[in-house]
Amino acid sequence: MMTIKGYVRENGSVGVRNHVLVLPIDDLSNSAAVGVAKLVRGTTAIPHPYGRLQFGRDLDLLFHILSGTGANPNVAGVVVIGIEDNWANKVADGIARTGKPVEVFPIEGYGDLKTIERASRKAKEMVQEASEKQRTEVDISSIVMSVKCGESDTTSGLASNPSVGVVVDKMVDLGAVAMFGETSELTGAEDIVAEKMVTPELREKFLKIYKEYVDVIEREGVDLLGSQPTQGNIKGGLSTIEEKALGNIQKLGHRKVNCVLDYLDPLRREKGGTLCFVNTSSAAAEAVTLFAAKGSVVHLFTTGQGNIVGHPIIPVIKITGNPKTAKFMSEHIDVDVSDLLDLKISLEEAGERVFNYMLRVLNGRLTAAEVLQHDEFSPIKLYISA
Amino acid sequence: MPRGLIHSESDDVCVVTTDVQKGEEVLCAYLEKPASHVMLKSLDDIPLGHKIALRDIKAGEKVLKYGRVIGIATKDVMKGQHVHVHNLRSLRWGRR
Repeated sequence: MMTIKGYVRENGSVGVRNHVLVLPIDDLSNSAAVGVAKLVRGTTAIPHPYGRLQFGRDLDLLFHILSGTGANPNVAGVVVIGIEDNWANKVADGIARTGKPVEVFPIEGYGDLKTIERASRKAKEMVQEASEKQRTEVDISSIVMSVKCGESDTTSGLASNPSVGVVVDKMVDLGAVAMFGETSELTGAEDIVAEKMVTPELREKFLKIYKEYVDVIEREGVDLLGSQPTQGNIKGGLSTIEEKALGNIQKLGHRKVNCVLDYLDPLRREKGGTLCFVNTSSAAAEAVTLFAAKGSVVHLFTTGQGNIVGHPIIPVIKITGNPKTAKFMSEHIDVDVSDLLDLKISLEEAGERVFNYMLRVLNGRLTAAEVLQHDEFSPIKLYISA
Repeated sequence: MPRGLIHSESDDVCVVTTDVQKGEEVLCAYLEKPASHVMLKSLDDIPLGHKIALRDIKAGEKVLKYGRVIGIATKDVMKGQHVHVHNLRSLRWGRR
């Protein structure tokens, strides 16, 4: 049995951070949310541009992301602020199901200043309560992690992604949950991912999600040339989407995929370890935001040319196999596995390097992105508002 | 020390792991069995992470990396030349 020190929440889920969140439901509530976070030490506001006049699946997805972020085990308590209380209550109900403290503050009828005062008084209480929560020894199987690459280059497929693949294998074997996504960036390797599915039903569901994505692109009458690979990818030596995808999937490791989640599907643990495909965009902040909303408490992010993304409530560990990026962007890089390029270390050793670093982060060490305040919170928007 | 790595035995390209100057000799090792390798002369300046052709490739031929097709050659490529967007394109999207 392998253990880490985490925060066991009211519903038994395990977090590795202890945030008090100030959650705006809509763009209009960002000012008040940021106002609270300025007044009350130990709170984190997550402003975003959405939440007005959305409808249908797009609105459901926003609720799913806002509720899921509040419900994430890295969060001790949540202050919800919305211009009106109807939608705010809906999101708060989703968070309250975890048993953690959550309270809603509507702005209408109060104005920003009174709302900031009322919300700050509650936030202050929550921070003081959270400050007494202790880390306790828990089995590592209770951890939910996620993986994604960004500003990839050929070193991603050679070094950083396969190193993360070693960690994914290990975590799944230990009974933990690992999630991956990046639907568009599987193009050229989607058949390999489909082959990894443990049942025909999952394979069908995955291929349906993938096809929906391709249909969107075709409906727009475009292709993704110019976006995929990105200019950064091309500078780093990746020539085609197929090449990028084949590098991308190196980080999935070698286990079967036993879980496929579309945008609105909640995470379900499978016995004996879970490897989950999640339908996400391939934009770094959008993908990490969705993984966190599904319950990921730590993210392994591989980069070739130097993506610097972070997240307000989950630690994002940056791993590179590119020696130039490790040298010239060192303040953003947590783990350097570029020794693999010279064959100075084996893939297993590189995987061990990433795993050991992840253990330190799970136990409390802050990542580069956390210290440098990379707090990107980017809900995915599916279509235009009403 | 190798200056390039080859993912799979059937690959047509090697990824250089240092900046390579035109005319330099490059030792490319196979990832799966690092003891075996190929030595070739670079015909171009090739930056770290970019690909060098392991054989002559005719325009229209498929190009393999990871043992899989990563695209199609848009020009004749000579062994030792830089392989990138100027002579390789996707079969999935991009109709240049």
